[in-house]
Amino acid sequence: MTAIPASAGAFPAARRFGAVLPLLRGLLALAAVLVAVELIILAFGIRPYVLPRPSMVLEAILRTPAAYRDAILRTGTEVLLGFGAGALFGVWIGVAFSRLRFLRETVFPIFIVSQTIPVIAFGALVVMWFGNTILAKAVIVFYLTFFPVTVNTLLGMRTVDQKQVQLMQSFGASDAVIMRKLRFPTALPHIFVALRIASALGLSGAVVGEWFGDTTGLGVLLLQGMYAENMVAIWAAILCAAALGIAFFSAIGWAEKRIVFWGGETA
Amino acid sequence: MTHDPMTPSRHALARGLLGGGALFLIWEIAARGFDLPAYILPAVSEILLRFWTARDVLGGAAVYTLGEAFGGYLLGGAVGVALALCVTLVPVLRRVIVPAATAVNSVPIVAFSPLILLWFGMGAGSKVVMVAVAVSFTMFVSALAGFDRVDERSVNLMRSFGASRAAILWKLRLPTALPLILSGMRLSTVRSLIVAIVTEMLGAYGGLGWVIYQAVIVIDFVQVWAAIFVASAASLAFFGFVSFLERRLVFWR
Repeated sequence: MTAIPASAGAFPAARRFGAVLPLLRGLLALAAVLVAVELIILAFGIRPYVLPRPSMVLEAILRTPAAYRDAILRTGTEVLLGFGAGALFGVWIGVAFSRLRFLRETVFPIFIVSQTIPVIAFGALVVMWFGNTILAKAVIVFYLTFFPVTVNTLLGMRTVDQKQVQLMQSFGASDAVIMRKLRFPTALPHIFVALRIASALGLSGAVVGEWFGDTTGLGVLLLQGMYAENMVAIWAAILCAAALGIAFFSAIGWAEKRIVFWGGETA
Repeated sequence: MTHDPMTPSRHALARGLLGGGALFLIWEIAARGFDLPAYILPAVSEILLRFWTARDVLGGAAVYTLGEAFGGYLLGGAVGVALALCVTLVPVLRRVIVPAATAVNSVPIVAFSPLILLWFGMGAGSKVVMVAVAVSFTMFVSALAGFDRVDERSVNLMRSFGASRAAILWKLRLPTALPLILSGMRLSTVRSLIVAIVTEMLGAYGGLGWVIYQAVIVIDFVQVWAAIFVASAASLAFFGFVSFLERRLVFWR
């Protein structure tokens, strides 16, 4: 067991960035920030309309915990559905692009241009196509998540050492075996970087998707807070969104540590 | 390796155009052939026609949004690089600023938009601030990675020759960090435009997001698609412009 921390220390940049960022440390930092903000607001007498005290925000959440819990669950489910599909599709199409040059050169430019479509415009269309369902939100999340994963899968496949491929070929390994044992594991650290980026984007997508009219979710809470000009409610929703974002980020970091146990890229 | 699929072929550009053309052709045939209503999928030719008939509205909106995005982009870039510089020059600050930036970044950026709208109003100011918030984090991370890339031995060498901190910054740290800073600027272009458009949806007096939202309300989906095309074209133009600047500025690469 002592070998793992030792090897982890060898690549501080790759390790520090998220992978070992434990949930506990994040929460501790958050608590410290909240206390500091509370004290600053009290000391300077800042009005709640400008910045409400964190204790007021927490109180608002604790007063109606069911509403916030439902919103987190709903938005979390939307992100999970879209993110799962986006990650699988992204890896799959990234692998396909790396093997089939014609496909890459005809389709990849379309993917790139598709990413310049503003998410709200896309959201408006998707809600029109699928109705105001959880599926519509999942599709929006999918649209935002698949692209970074595709790009980084392709990038990861590019870092494969050709000499290693030739060595495996000389031992008679089939393309499928080379993919499973060499290419895919080489690309995995890059894929995980993309997954972390995608999780944050996906959460944004789900929140925006809910602005087109829904009944539950963090986006709905944000919008209600804005229309009521209720700063406390807006901050409560932001806090919930942050908690959800940190949870996704940590989950991916944890999975990365388990799956890419050999330490990832050394560069 | 004569048949390595990873190397680009000579026909890359032609194939890209082929892909785009095929997409538009299939789209046109599907929309016309199945006689799809405009709210599902309007024909490409109809959208292109709308380009022309609504050119004043779309052009004005594009200029408005690009202005907001560009203002926020410059502001956010300046703030991000300045913060990274502070952290590099005063290492004590790193312990405060990096966790704070990470905490702010864990919130999906759009969650801040209702707040920013209430603080800065419905006008262009709130969009500039939103874009600046979104861009500054990306720029902070890129610039910090750039400044950290400087070889400490080079710093020590310059110091041993009596170079001042300002000279080390100007002659060593900045040129080393510039490629990463500029690639961060390039990546932020598309994002800045999208954030501006998303914020416009929640409340604005003009811009592409406002046009899209108005069109959605009156179920004019040809207009939505036309605005989407304009937004894409504006993003690509912005991206191309910054890439061009990047190539000119980082000439030593």
